[in-house]
Amino acid sequence: MTAYTPKMPGPVLTARIPTYPWADPKDRHIVSYDEYTRTGGYEGLRKALGMSRDDIIEEVKGSQLRGRGGAGFPCGLKWTFLPKVEPGTDPGPRYLAINADESEPGTFKDRLLMDFDPHLLLEGIAIACYACHLQRAFIYIRGEYHHQAMVLEQAIKEAYEAKVFGPQGLLDGTETNAGGTFAVECHVHRGAGAYICGEETALLESLEGKRGWPRVKPPFPAVKGLFGRPTIINNVETLAHLPSIIENGHQWFCGQGTESSIGGPPSFGSKLMGVSGHVNRPGVYECDLGIPLKVLVEDHCQGMRNGKKFKGAIAGGVSTGVLGPDEFDAPMDFDIGRKYNVLGLGTACPTIFEEDTDMVGVARNIARFFKHESCGQCTPCREGSGWLFQLLSRIEKGDARTKDLDLVLEIATSMGAMPGTTICGLADGNNWAVRTIVNKYREEFEARVRPSFVPVTMSVGAAANG
Amino acid sequence: MAWITKPSGTMAVEQRSEPYLTEDMKNSIRETYLPRYETSKGALLPTLHKLQHTYGWIPRQALMEAADFLDLKPADVIDTASFYEEFWLKPKGEHVIAVCRSIACEFCDHKAITDRCREKLGIEVGETTDDGKFTLVELECLGACGGAPVALVDEKLHENLSPDEIDRAIDEARSH
Ligand SMILES: Cc1cc2nc3c(=O)[nH]c(=O)nc-3n(C[C@H](O)[C@H](O)[C@H](O)COP(=O)(O)O)c2cc1C
Ligand code: SF4
Ligand code: FES
Repeated sequence: MTAYTPKMPGPVLTARIPTYPWADPKDRHIVSYDEYTRTGGYEGLRKALGMSRDDIIEEVKGSQLRGRGGAGFPCGLKWTFLPKVEPGTDPGPRYLAINADESEPGTFKDRLLMDFDPHLLLEGIAIACYACHLQRAFIYIRGEYHHQAMVLEQAIKEAYEAKVFGPQGLLDGTETNAGGTFAVECHVHRGAGAYICGEETALLESLEGKRGWPRVKPPFPAVKGLFGRPTIINNVETLAHLPSIIENGHQWFCGQGTESSIGGPPSFGSKLMGVSGHVNRPGVYECDLGIPLKVLVEDHCQGMRNGKKFKGAIAGGVSTGVLGPDEFDAPMDFDIGRKYNVLGLGTACPTIFEEDTDMVGVARNIARFFKHESCGQCTPCREGSGWLFQLLSRIEKGDARTKDLDLVLEIATSMGAMPGTTICGLADGNNWAVRTIVNKYREEFEARVRPSFVPVTMSVGAAANG
Repeated sequence: MAWITKPSGTMAVEQRSEPYLTEDMKNSIRETYLPRYETSKGALLPTLHKLQHTYGWIPRQALMEAADFLDLKPADVIDTASFYEEFWLKPKGEHVIAVCRSIACEFCDHKAITDRCREKLGIEVGETTDDGKFTLVELECLGACGGAPVALVDEKLHENLSPDEIDRAIDEARSH
């Protein structure tokens, strides 16, 4: 194995959350407002308020920070899609929606930040709100995160008491570079058990008190979002990066992570990677983007469970599809989609399979998830997800024929926003997950199906000549 | 999900004179939640959460009261409430055991956890015990895959479970 040298100076997002290899997780505790400020917290916000809004946005653009929620969209660029605010004018309500829905199977990284260092997120929220002129922030947290919602509520209460948020203006009415004070309200909004509400426009619908049905885009949320107003949606981890970027500058951030090896946009910065499945020490690790999966598993997770061999991995949440047995060296960066034929890096939370894993069972489990979570708006997704689950269950039981396997691929390939048959990306996730598993482990599926019956007709007599 | 229709034609709609949405609850929603949103509908999820948390489920009458209070059509309230899995529109047990069945937990033998619950409680997934104490369900990923297998017992998450541990967690819930 080639030696791997990290570029991170030390823990960044996990600076206050003891994490291997720097510290022992048994020392983890909820970081209070006092501890947070004592250890340099809210200095990034203080610095930001002394900067012009354009300079902050330039700094974030310069860092090339890419969204940590799954799509990897450049954060600074997204912010520039908001309508411009003329200095001295009131643009009316504009919102920040923080995506803390985290329901993609295999993904449990945002939870770490909310469990232990909620003020890091709150500081990121305050910076984003000031930079983008957003007066109100909603943290949309999945319903099952009861404890995390409580931790956040408590931290928000502390932040209001310390006058970070509230009517007097950020940081107790600190004079901002934009002139005067800028006030931000911040609230928790709890979801209620629907994966689809992680999709950004479904999230907005849910915030408005409706069922979580993704919207047809355009209009994009930056122009017409929550309650029809300009809205930015960012992932928890994306926002948690802002304080250190503002404090240390974009060059510091660009010194971590990696350039693209295929001429694409770079993957700078550190990333929380939650590893699950057949490894000795599953958990969340903070690593440079670009760390080879094998190093992540062998160095951080102490190798495969029971000394078994690596068979494959879900790249970053089930929607991304799988890496095959010979793709253990894959660097965990945003190039991974193009280089290894998966949907993308996703949430960078891989689930690892050992040699004995039944890939037909994996496909069936994932297909059931998508069938259960489809919101039902688009026929190819609603029906297709059900058919895929049925077909895969049949293959698993040994009741299927070769043509069923072809049908699986045909259905999977036809559904999604990329083929252009559905409204949102949930169906693409289903498509990529099923398709990559079947394609990369085709022999296993073929061994489970019986040959299709091919009728041979023979004509005799007069018809045989015609 | 909402499009999976449930039979409702034979459902009895029970009425009681005492409202589910009490004045106290209304006041707290008025003070805490309504000011946060541009529309009263924005406060619907928080209202439903409050009802769910207080009664363990949301009776039809409570949905009507929520509609009335937030100035919404009952159909809109039902539309929203029926979409979300966490809102129970029929009674459930006093305690809910929710075992994760997604991929990382399946890898770590979630089945042994569910099976122990089935045996111990004498019910299948989706059912409630006769004494109304426990409901057993399986859910998709609970966002705790590093601690697989996991289960929620009411609002508390249990990680790295063994069958014996879920057994004890059930006993503990029973004694409350
Ligand atoms: C079906 C579906 C589910 C999603 N779930 C989540 C989620 O749970 N958390 C999240 O941050 N992003 C999720 N996303 C991605 C969001 O739509 C959006 O891209 C992201 O929140 C933007 O934030 P970022 O740019 O900071 O990453 C999901 C997308 C889809 C299509
Ligand atoms: S693709 Fe699926 S989840 Fe997305 S809007 Fe269509 S039906 Fe709903
Ligand atoms: S798969 Fe069970 S918690 Fe994520």
